Amino acid sequence: MKKYVLRRLLQLIPILLVITFLSFGMMRLAGSDAVLQKMENTGMVVSQEVIDSARAELGLDKPFLTQYFVWLGNLLRGDMGTSYISGQDVFSTFLSKLPATLLLTAVSILLTIVISIPLGVLAAVKQNRFTDYMIRTASFLGNSMPNFFVALLLMYFFSIRLKIFPVIATGISVQSVALPAITLAIAMSAKYLRQVRAAVLDELSKDYVVGARARGISFYTTLTKSVLRAALVTILTLLTLSIGSLLGGTAIVESIFLWDGVGKLAVDAINMRDYPMIQAYVMWMAIIYVCVNLITDLSYRALDPRIRLGGEKV
Amino acid sequence: MREDKKTPSVRKLRVRKSHIKTRLVLFLLLTAALMLTVIFAQQICPYDPNAQDTSISLQPPSLEHLAGTDRFGRDMFSRILVGLQTSVLSTLCLVVIITVAGTAAGILCGYYGGILDSVVMRISDVCLAFPGLVFALAIASLLGGGLHNAVFALAVISWPKYARIARSQTLSVKNTDYISAARLAGGNSIQIIIRHVLPNSIGPILVTSMLDIGTMLMELAGLSFLGLGAQPPTAELGNMMSGGRSMLQTYPWVIIGPGIAIFAAVVIFNLLGDTFRDYLDPRNSRRN
Amino acid sequence: MRKWKKFWALLLTACLGTGLLAGCGAGEESPEEDTGKKTFVLGDTTFNPENEEPDVNPHNTYSGWACIRYGIGETLFRYSDTMEIQPWLAKSYENVDELTWKITLQDNIKFSSGRTMDAEAVKECLEHLVEVHDRARGDLMIDTITAEGQTVTITTTEPKPTLLNYLSDPYGCIIDMEAGVTEDGIVAGTGPYIAQSLVSGQELKLVKNPDYWNGEPGYDEITVRTISDGDTLTMALQSGEIDAAYGMPYASYPLFENEEYTISSCATSRTFFAHMNFESPVIQDPAVRRAIAMGIDKEGFVETLLDGNGYPAAGAFPENFSFGGGSVTTETYDPEGAEKVLEDAGWTDSDGDGIREKDGQDLEIRWLTYPSRQELPLLAEAAQATLKEIGIQVEINSTADHNSIRVDHDAWDVYASAMVTAPTGDPEYFFTTHCLDDSAVNNGNYHSDRLEELEKELAGEFDTQRRSELAVQMQQTILDDNAFVFCSHLQMSMISKSTVTGLEAHPCDFYEITADLAPAA
Repeated sequence: MKKYVLRRLLQLIPILLVITFLSFGMMRLAGSDAVLQKMENTGMVVSQEVIDSARAELGLDKPFLTQYFVWLGNLLRGDMGTSYISGQDVFSTFLSKLPATLLLTAVSILLTIVISIPLGVLAAVKQNRFTDYMIRTASFLGNSMPNFFVALLLMYFFSIRLKIFPVIATGISVQSVALPAITLAIAMSAKYLRQVRAAVLDELSKDYVVGARARGISFYTTLTKSVLRAALVTILTLLTLSIGSLLGGTAIVESIFLWDGVGKLAVDAINMRDYPMIQAYVMWMAIIYVCVNLITDLSYRALDPRIRLGGEKV
Repeated sequence: MREDKKTPSVRKLRVRKSHIKTRLVLFLLLTAALMLTVIFAQQICPYDPNAQDTSISLQPPSLEHLAGTDRFGRDMFSRILVGLQTSVLSTLCLVVIITVAGTAAGILCGYYGGILDSVVMRISDVCLAFPGLVFALAIASLLGGGLHNAVFALAVISWPKYARIARSQTLSVKNTDYISAARLAGGNSIQIIIRHVLPNSIGPILVTSMLDIGTMLMELAGLSFLGLGAQPPTAELGNMMSGGRSMLQTYPWVIIGPGIAIFAAVVIFNLLGDTFRDYLDPRNSRRN
Repeated sequence: MRKWKKFWALLLTACLGTGLLAGCGAGEESPEEDTGKKTFVLGDTTFNPENEEPDVNPHNTYSGWACIRYGIGETLFRYSDTMEIQPWLAKSYENVDELTWKITLQDNIKFSSGRTMDAEAVKECLEHLVEVHDRARGDLMIDTITAEGQTVTITTTEPKPTLLNYLSDPYGCIIDMEAGVTEDGIVAGTGPYIAQSLVSGQELKLVKNPDYWNGEPGYDEITVRTISDGDTLTMALQSGEIDAAYGMPYASYPLFENEEYTISSCATSRTFFAHMNFESPVIQDPAVRRAIAMGIDKEGFVETLLDGNGYPAAGAFPENFSFGGGSVTTETYDPEGAEKVLEDAGWTDSDGDGIREKDGQDLEIRWLTYPSRQELPLLAEAAQATLKEIGIQVEINSTADHNSIRVDHDAWDVYASAMVTAPTGDPEYFFTTHCLDDSAVNNGNYHSDRLEELEKELAGEFDTQRRSELAVQMQQTILDDNAFVFCSHLQMSMISKSTVTGLEAHPCDFYEITADLAPAA
């Protein structure tokens, strides 16, 4: 078991190498660079000499491979470089955005679970009845609205009409996390409640449920003891995927609610071709995915002992 | 709780089965209607969707212009119809690609395990962890703009989700008795996968792919910013919605019209998907 | 079955309950405390590192814009409403010879650090500026600076007619170098407000400068919030969380066009214009260029697509410049005329598909633009429709990747961009950056002998009047060649609550928070 976990964590190294190299290469392929992007934003043209000296200062005049290995060398010495845009230390900038993202992820996942599991189970139990159709329609609605639309609607009703929440988030507080978390939870719940419904339906029609009912075990007991447990495998897979992408931040929601997390940081970095910052983000995402997957695989096993972990001898 | 012991009788299952059939036909008809609208959008739209007339820009819905006009004075209703065509066709294409590719990869990984599993799953880690925006930018610059490149870019970053689901489903059915029995009975792997693993895993996958129609539609729109995706004057629902974003308070029809169209498409495909799943469900047919 | 329902009812109630509690809890906490202080909050879309304004240190990239806009720093000279140079921290100046400028400073001005602003302080500041700031060094070409009491004498390495303009650029804000720059990028200037704390890309807090030399600032405390999202900015102003906004999306204007708000607008030299690619065979045909210039409905674009929030352009500069607006003549929107021009040049629609051909080749142009300026894709789409009417097919490529495409001359025919044409109020900048053989962004390889000649004269001309005349001639040369089509000038607007006075848009976009800003009586 320990060996397994260790091996999985060691896989992180090749993934990190591949992914940082890929993103380095692709950003170069994407054309433009930080110097030109800044020129576009300010709308001010600077002379070729100024452009060249700015590039040289950032090391952008060097060949691609040299740039990569310089970056990698610095990384191994614990230096992630400074941002091309703000001139701030990349690692500490990134770190300063993490708490906001972590909080938003936690709150929205929690909300999602609280909304989607009960509603999904209810829809499955009432399959093809009025309740089921109502719940599903609501989920379609949540699913077909882009999140900026949900965000603006919520902001309009809660901040301007009802004046419950402020438009501008001031620091990390209950008030300011509410609307972004609800926005994200609406979209995710719309998805998950349908997954929960499908998974529960699958289980409900299995022989053991039918058998249990025939033996006189109450429906409620079957549902909570066996069905939900079995359906949890699917739900867990999806949830971990979501946690992964949520931890990567959600640029649109973050910028609408002025939520100072890594999503906006990442998108700004990509748009501005802020290579060191992009590298930090890419590494963060890789670490998240490897860890989240590991945890998922371990919990599959805990939930369903029939599943064997790779490498374990039977 | 005695009354809960409603063990479904054979007769009841038959009734349920025939209900499924009725619903399937109903939703198939609805889908057919949607697809007809999509295919003949150009023919049925009342105005030229690209004809600008700035003297009538941003008019609210009226009898003349059922969904109002946009800021170029173009008829929104016509643009929604044509936009439905662009969006639905490209989104369906994308969803089919990622569902098939992802499911195949996931089932094979789950079933065979070992090195194949490790390699494919690590590739999927890379795809999932890699910022889609970076990849899309590179595609835009390498292959140029256009919808097909946008579909390609999104496909590459979206398949792992299906692979993950399919893999976890496969893992949970792989060691069940009936698979072992099938294996003992001498069935070869491909047969087992197609006869037993696939039907038992398809539910959540189908649900995910149907739900992805709405999401992917918006994601395709998001890429048009990078030059990927539909370029003007091509109408595209997601683009129309995000383009009208700041008009939500002042000219809401510009954003709500396309929103309703997306909703309708999502509902129809999802209801069809659900019913189709019920219909395919081996346990529903086994007792028939 | 009943128990079942109860269970769900309970669960749902619980969910709702928590939601409500969270809501109530949030509602009760009201951080606003009335301290009797006069406070003002400005929401701004541009104050962030992506716009090269990471802090308020004028010696750092474009941060000078923030320094001057938010009333922290001031320059030696400033622009009047008609974009003429006026003394500000300077009292007067004397242009001793082509290379020497003698500037006398105002007396009794103090930095917020307490130090008196004398010639020595100005010298230290400018010397540091040209040492660390590439753009300033290239612009100013300062050779030596000598300080004596309140008189600064600057010599330049070559004749620099526009030295005073460059000194009025935001990077020329005079700051106290002894007080230096804090880690956060805060400096001590001479303005009506003093920067107190700064979080880059988020928030700047200012307090009143009690010893301000030029009137009494109207507020005790000012907060500048960076709100990059236009819709959030709109709602923040609607909900009253900010008192004024800069960079509001046009579509939101109708919400504020009432007596509760004041809108102050002004044309700026940020101009939307199209470059013609002279390497492209189609564009090399003067008739095609002329037809394109005649086939774009600038008035229509400004009136309906920008809701009137812009100004149709003739030349490179807006009306409020002496060499701008109607001082030049160009093609006006004339679809019939354009058709005739094309017809005469041999472009006819022989196969009846609505697109003209010549020698079997369709008249098709590739229009390159980018979406980060919301007006540009709109302009492309509007031009596409009006040009189609005269038989020109337009393929739009609106992409974030435009910077790499525009340098490839085989990849585009027309490139529409949004650039500031006269950041220092002087016309020369536009020509040297866009139109000459050695210009950094002469994307279409435009060349005109006459223009090169005129530029030589402009470079050495000290007389403002003559410079204006030359600028008009140079614009006319470009326009006669239809090398560029100038479509519109950006309207810069600030919207404030009617409880605020003195927030006025200025044509050069440098001055926002001044001592005039005050609560309405």
